[in-house]
Amino acid sequence: MTARRPAVIGLGLTPMSVRPGGSAAELAARALHAALGDAGLAPTELEGLLVGSSQGVRPDRVGVALAAQAGLGDLRMLEHVEIKGATTVAMVRRAQLAIDTGEARTVACVFADAPLRAAGGAGSTYAHSGGNSGLRGLERASGVLGSVPTYALLAARWLAVTGGSPDDLGAVALAARAWARHNPDAVQRAPLDAKAYRASPMVSTPLRRLDCARPVNGAAAVVLGTDAAGSRHTPVRVIGSGRAHPVRRRRAGHESWFGGGRGAIEAALAEAGLSRADLDVLELYDPFTIVTLCLLEEYGLCEPGEAGPLARSGALAPGGALPTNTGGGQLSGFYLQGMTPLVEAVIQLRGDGGDRQVPGARTALVGGIGGRIDHHACLVLEAA
Amino acid sequence: MTPVMAEDWLLEAELAPAVEGDPLAPLYAGAADGLLVLPFCPACGLALELEQRVCDGCATAGADWRPAEPRGTVHAVTVVHRLERGLVRAPGPYPVADVETAGGHRLVLTSVGPLPRPPAIGDAVTIGFRRLGGVAVPAFHPTNLVKRRTPDGRSRDAAAAEAYPGR
Ligand SMILES: [Zn+2]
Repeated sequence: MTARRPAVIGLGLTPMSVRPGGSAAELAARALHAALGDAGLAPTELEGLLVGSSQGVRPDRVGVALAAQAGLGDLRMLEHVEIKGATTVAMVRRAQLAIDTGEARTVACVFADAPLRAAGGAGSTYAHSGGNSGLRGLERASGVLGSVPTYALLAARWLAVTGGSPDDLGAVALAARAWARHNPDAVQRAPLDAKAYRASPMVSTPLRRLDCARPVNGAAAVVLGTDAAGSRHTPVRVIGSGRAHPVRRRRAGHESWFGGGRGAIEAALAEAGLSRADLDVLELYDPFTIVTLCLLEEYGLCEPGEAGPLARSGALAPGGALPTNTGGGQLSGFYLQGMTPLVEAVIQLRGDGGDRQVPGARTALVGGIGGRIDHHACLVLEAA
Repeated sequence: MTPVMAEDWLLEAELAPAVEGDPLAPLYAGAADGLLVLPFCPACGLALELEQRVCDGCATAGADWRPAEPRGTVHAVTVVHRLERGLVRAPGPYPVADVETAGGHRLVLTSVGPLPRPPAIGDAVTIGFRRLGGVAVPAFHPTNLVKRRTPDGRSRDAAAAEAYPGR
């Protein structure tokens, strides 16, 4: 007999909008109730709520007030979790432990973001936020507006150190789009070829527009309970989790932009009792194409220097040997930070991937990163 | 002649850093005097990050902000093509480099003025200053353009003037 183990038993998504509309709180409440309905739970049966929100200066970021805003009753557990992009994985871990220890029997994890405003696009929202004090103030005064120039520096450095080429980035963008074509929730589903990629406007060398995730207004939620809780879907067990918070020094003699994340996947695999070869699908946080390449090497999912060639070989794309970001990721799917890879892992392990379903997918890696790849959080999930 | 309050070649003045009470106030005070002032550990002399408050080498608290050698090499570089409306004044793409100073610090800076082409990783740069909304901000220029005399015998200033038409 199998012990009852913490599992994702409910999944809820709002439509992903590339136009302004909806506050983060409204979107979060919708996703939360959708996830409860998906789990077959009444709102009063929810015992714990974990809330994640986008960083920055957004006036309407969601927090613990969501419990009241979303019409919930009394809770035994309510927290706003914050580790930047690694938050979603941290929330799932927190929920898993709460269920294991009896702190709460059902816990929802919610993330919502609404960067698209009536005045100006999302890129503009990011470019105008950040303030003018401290280190960020100096960077902004030096023309580092939004997050693209920062990741462009990372990309330039990474390509120089690993001997990669901008074509490697394009291969990641094409693979993500090939998956997204079959994901009804993806916001960019039009066919994409190498020529169209190269025609994409440069944003900050070597990153083109198609190397960057497309921000959306939207929300996603999962409900965790025990895997015998009566969900009509295949429960998706949380069997491993790991974190790494490398403090990389911005100082001569160090790589400042990447490295130090290996411990997160090592810990997650050790807890799960699995090896890398056991992972059926890889769902990695991919705000920029460069990050997919970085994480494949950082997590030891390929040999050093092989991420680019692997991407160019088609291994990451549909039909490839290393199915990666099978819903189109953040690049072509939707940018809901750590929820993007988690949602896709749940869909794949339920077998609900439709035309993009990876046959026989039983285990998934979810990789979340925060800041400038400063925080790593990995989950290993398994279909019950 | 350069006007006293010449506008920055790249950005609008609203992006000027906070100076009063800012964690980087000593850097801006030094920059106003034409000096690259950076934080070092008061005990072991390690180059500290700009917002670091305790040395990771010897655990000594505090930072000794003092003039550092204003030259370095490019650790990473990008050319920004997105010209954010309302924030960027420059009419074309501009460089941003992660500069590793001779003293071991890394600073993300743009160029002192427009460049005909961006530097490459490993290139030597010299650190000067631009003025943004009245605040002196460190910025790089390629060392070879400044230090090297041109084959036709022109002064380095003439070569520099040609390299930085915006100054
Ligand atoms: Zn020290």
